[in-house]
Amino acid sequence: MNTPRSRKEKNQNQNKTAAIIFILAFVFCSIFIVAKTNTQVPAAGKTAMAFLSPFQKGFSSLGVGVSDLKDSVEEVQNMQVELENLREEVKNLRSQNLNASEAISENQRLRALLGYKQNATQFDLVAASIIGRESATWSSVVLINRGILDGVADNMAVVTELGLVGHVLEAGLNTSKVQLILDPRSSVGTLIQRPESRVAGIVEGDINNPHAPKMLNIPKDADVKEGDMIVTSGFGGVYPKGIVIGKIKEIHNDEGGLLKHGIVATTVNFEKLEDVAIIVNSREAPPEPLPPIIQSENTDPNSEDAAKQLEYSKQVQKEVHDRVKQAQEKQLEQARQSVGGTAN
Amino acid sequence: MKLNVIFSWAILIILMYAVQTSLLPFIGFNGVSANLMLLLTVSTAFLKGYKHGILMGLVTGFLQDITSGSYFGCAIFSYMIIGWFFGKFSDRIFKEQLLFPILSAPLAAAIHFFIMNFLISLIGYKINFLYSVQNILQPLIFYQVAFSWLIHKIAYDFYKFIKRRG
Repeated sequence: MNTPRSRKEKNQNQNKTAAIIFILAFVFCSIFIVAKTNTQVPAAGKTAMAFLSPFQKGFSSLGVGVSDLKDSVEEVQNMQVELENLREEVKNLRSQNLNASEAISENQRLRALLGYKQNATQFDLVAASIIGRESATWSSVVLINRGILDGVADNMAVVTELGLVGHVLEAGLNTSKVQLILDPRSSVGTLIQRPESRVAGIVEGDINNPHAPKMLNIPKDADVKEGDMIVTSGFGGVYPKGIVIGKIKEIHNDEGGLLKHGIVATTVNFEKLEDVAIIVNSREAPPEPLPPIIQSENTDPNSEDAAKQLEYSKQVQKEVHDRVKQAQEKQLEQARQSVGGTAN
Repeated sequence: MKLNVIFSWAILIILMYAVQTSLLPFIGFNGVSANLMLLLTVSTAFLKGYKHGILMGLVTGFLQDITSGSYFGCAIFSYMIIGWFFGKFSDRIFKEQLLFPILSAPLAAAIHFFIMNFLISLIGYKINFLYSVQNILQPLIFYQVAFSWLIHKIAYDFYKFIKRRG
């Protein structure tokens, strides 16, 4: 029987259902508006990131330990037969090894990054660690522990000593989101590095293969081979020219018939990415030192200009030689000290 | 709702999200790891009904959408529908029963996966469905089942703790 009370409850239920459907429809529509206009929610996002980052930093450092433990377990499983005779020795050394391997791997990563920083004189770099990875499964964005306070800004390129990682999607106060080149929304202007080729194309993330991006828009008759190295072209302004991305693994023809695309094997291992460097400033690479003038039959040995040039090039050569020697000695000394420090 | 209850919930959600984004990727498979926000939404829906389920979906989805680089609204939409759907079964199961949340974890993961793929397809991306099922949905289901008991237990104890404190 429909009493006034049950009718009232029924009306209330209908109102609630209508409200829920309205909210869902609103969210559904907003997804497409946001996607079309490429809108971010910077204030709320930055506040939430500021709240989350201390927890993420803590759990991330714990995660490195967990990861090392996982790696050690895998290693032990693979080498079980081989290690049977050495089991007793391993037992004693395992706890010692865990601490040492963590320190060594960190040392190696940082040294590689430092080496890259010293070589890449045309870039001003800020080192950062990855403290969070995105939970959405179709996109590839990571969180790093550097932000506006460290000089990081939106659209800065992010690299490692092995090659390009991506760019800063959104810089927060002390953390930033980095969109990897594996993300399907990322596109990088690139060139084939081989001097005879220099074919340009665009490297984009592939939603169906999150581990290997694609190099698109290659004309069908272009000189591109499997194994060709790909570097950034510098077009577009986000990524400086000449940063290594990877090499062509496979080449496939596109459906239309005029173009082909290449599957790219990236030089950076994104599964094991822990430390990166952000290019906060880039300039033209310094010019190479002048090559020494080679005397040929046509060169007049008495010519005053030729003699001056020869003298100058000899001087430059000597200076470069001295500088390289000094740098080598310094690196050797640093290496000795750090190895001594690790051993202690 | 009292302020200290809201504060306690906020801390629990933030801690779980920090674990999900910082710690769990280290034990992930091919970039896929457990989605604790989804499990928390399902557990809340089972324990407190569809209204709380929708609210939890809104909060966890909002947190995920603003802190990740994905399109804003996708996670909110998906989690709210899941909170609503599983909340409808709230009055038909015993709250102490742990089997239902564990059994529902693969279903929730599948619903979330299909909604996300549907939205991404509508935005204009071509998705290789079979590849995604094999490489994303299968490991996701494995992780969701592995973590469902723990998350449901945490949510259940948390509700009891809040109820005790009045």
